[in-house]
Amino acid sequence: MICSTSNLAQRRYVVRMWVAAALCILFSVVTALEFKRGHPTGVLTYLMAILPALPIIGALVGTGIYLLEEADEFQRNLLIQSLLGGMGAILSVATVWGNLEDFAHAPHLDLIWVYPMFWVFVGLSYGVVTLRYR
Amino acid sequence: MKNRLRVLRAERNWSQADLAQRLEVSRQSVNAIETGKFDPSLPLAFKLARLFETNIEDLFSDES
Repeated sequence: MICSTSNLAQRRYVVRMWVAAALCILFSVVTALEFKRGHPTGVLTYLMAILPALPIIGALVGTGIYLLEEADEFQRNLLIQSLLGGMGAILSVATVWGNLEDFAHAPHLDLIWVYPMFWVFVGLSYGVVTLRYR
Repeated sequence: MKNRLRVLRAERNWSQADLAQRLEVSRQSVNAIETGKFDPSLPLAFKLARLFETNIEDLFSDES
C-alpha cells in the first residue's frame, strides 16, 4: 500500500498497523482461552467477546490519523480513493450475499470476515487506482 | 490540466526525485502532476510557482 520511499507519516502508519495486528492476535488468543477454560458470565462475556475487535477499531482510527498526518496530497488521494473503492466493494458484496442468504439459501457468512475482506478490496482498489497514474 | 513542469525542471537539470525532494512530496506525486493526471491543490501550486520563480498562470494552463 505504502510506496517504498516512505515518509514519516507512512512509517508511523505502518508501526500502528503492526501494533494493532499484534494486539488483535494476542486478544484473540486471550479471548479464545478465556471462553474455553473459564466460561465467563454476565458483562465479562460481552467484554471478552469485544476485546479482539478493539485493535481492529484502533487500526481504522490509525488509518484516519494517517490521512490527517500525510502531507503528500497525492498519496492521501490514492488512499482515499482506495478506501472508497474498498468500502463500496465490501458493502456491495455484503448486500448481495445478505440477499442470497435470505432468498436463495446461500450459506451464512460470518460478519467477522467483513473486515479482512474490506482490506483485500482496498488493496485491489489501490492497484486499480494506481494504474490510472502510470 | 496542462503544465510546464517538465520543461522548467529540465532547464534546471532536476530529476523528478530532485523536484519531489524540494517539494517534500513523493516522486509519484511529481510524475502524476507533470503528466497532467493529478491537479495539485492551490497551496502546492503556489509552492511550485515559488520554486520555479514564476506565476501559477505561467506554470499551469486550463486548456484540456
